[in-house]
Amino acid sequence: MLCEKCKIREATIQYTEVVNGNREEHHFCAQCAREMDFGQVSALFDGEFTFGKIISALLGEEGQADEPAFTQIVCPNCGTSYQQFVDESRFGCADCYEVFDLLIRDSIQKLQGSETHKGKHPKYSTKMIPESLTRDLPGASKRAAEQEETGTKPETGRAAELNELRVSLRQAIRDEEFELAAQYRDRIRELEKEDADA
Amino acid sequence: MLKWYEQVRMDTGSNYVSSRIRLARNWKEYRFPGSLTADEAGEMVRRLRAGLEPFCEAAGESFTGSLLAEIPEAERLAMRERRILNAGILGRRAPVGLVLSETEDVSLVLNGDDHIRLQLISPNQHIYELWSRADALDDRLNESFAYAFDERFGYLTSFPTNVGTGMRANIVVHLPALSTGKQFQSLLQSMTRFGVTIRGVYGAGRENYGALYDVSNSKTLGLSEREILDLVVKVAAQLNSEENQVRRKSVEVHRLERVDEAFKAYGLLKYARKLSLRDALSYISQVMAGITDGIITAGEPVSLYRLYFGIQPYNLIAAARGPVDREKLDAVRADYIRRELPEIKEV
Repeated sequence: MLCEKCKIREATIQYTEVVNGNREEHHFCAQCAREMDFGQVSALFDGEFTFGKIISALLGEEGQADEPAFTQIVCPNCGTSYQQFVDESRFGCADCYEVFDLLIRDSIQKLQGSETHKGKHPKYSTKMIPESLTRDLPGASKRAAEQEETGTKPETGRAAELNELRVSLRQAIRDEEFELAAQYRDRIRELEKEDADA
Repeated sequence: MLKWYEQVRMDTGSNYVSSRIRLARNWKEYRFPGSLTADEAGEMVRRLRAGLEPFCEAAGESFTGSLLAEIPEAERLAMRERRILNAGILGRRAPVGLVLSETEDVSLVLNGDDHIRLQLISPNQHIYELWSRADALDDRLNESFAYAFDERFGYLTSFPTNVGTGMRANIVVHLPALSTGKQFQSLLQSMTRFGVTIRGVYGAGRENYGALYDVSNSKTLGLSEREILDLVVKVAAQLNSEENQVRRKSVEVHRLERVDEAFKAYGLLKYARKLSLRDALSYISQVMAGITDGIITAGEPVSLYRLYFGIQPYNLIAAARGPVDREKLDAVRADYIRRELPEIKEV
């Protein structure tokens, strides 16, 4: 079928309009569709059609992605920014879910039709693998030691401050106190940099 | 030992070809694959491989472990055609690990889109059995690796489209009659309201060769694993039974035409010296339909379905063990089919 607008290219997009209960079907090519105003779904016609684009369009719909306060939010654990997440529809780490929590909850609800998990829970939540299996790897032992430090033992000094700051950062984002959140983020980065240099 | 796709039987009166369960899991200790450095990814893949013993023991099969970079390119692409790898991870620069069982029915992809992707495939429709097996194997993995999990969002994944159960359940059905009907596209459309995605396996939309359709859950959050399975099974069963109705009627009313169609397709497969992928898929589908309907037979149980994999370009190239001229591929395909096609008789 040819595009009903340009009547030159093959129509690849079917657009169904329901006005007062009357259904009308239209067929356009991608190029004409892109030029027309379909509101937020227009993003779907740019380039490849992916789930990623859908969630980006949904996120954009809230009109928040452009606000600097939102785009500046960065996950302290992996450095993924909210804008990056919107662009790629991809989380950088498990913490991102908590950091971007309020910003993404509606979008996940729209995408998945739910925002609450139902079903299996992990049987084991702590590490069961014998340490001997991975101990010989240099990075592994360092990580295990770190984990112990932040996990089971009482925390001291910088590690405790970092943790506290991360909690405050999340709280600030929840309360939509973005300036405060940015300050926490900068302080976290400073501390992490010192850690890395040390 | 026969690969899983060599065990697909289409002479049982049903149109179910295969079932598959995929689980996406991430290890709490590491950031998601997209934000790991090459060194971290390498370390993680090594540690994951080191902790797989309980998993392999529970699976009760022998496994081969490798890094994708160690596998020749043609074989990697052939694995994609056999549903072991997906297109996304083929292009990854970071180390990706693959652990594959001998019959190719159980596989793990390490550091793909997520840290761990567990996949189980079976011939025909055994999705509930697959899930109980996947569930148990998932626990064995979890014994070694604590998962990233959130009470509200469930299993945390790189992409928000997989969060929750992290599970994708697929059933592939063979619909040669239904898919030629005028109402087919709107039938598929109406099915999607239930929360499933239906895709043509070879080609998209109206352009589908071989009449295989893949039914899978569209959503992963807010439904339990059991509810997801029930949904996919319900839709696949509906398609199967509608297909059966149309086919039974066609055999009753137009038996000679159906036998004629099956034998013409068989004749082309058996004698052609050049076959394009499209044509070969269509003819194999027609012969398979005749066997399912009991109007023609191979005498002994055979899996015609394995030809669907065998005739794919990279499977032909990988099997040739030498360079294959692209332009000669249709001839190589026809040779392969002549070798592998069983003798068919009228019932």
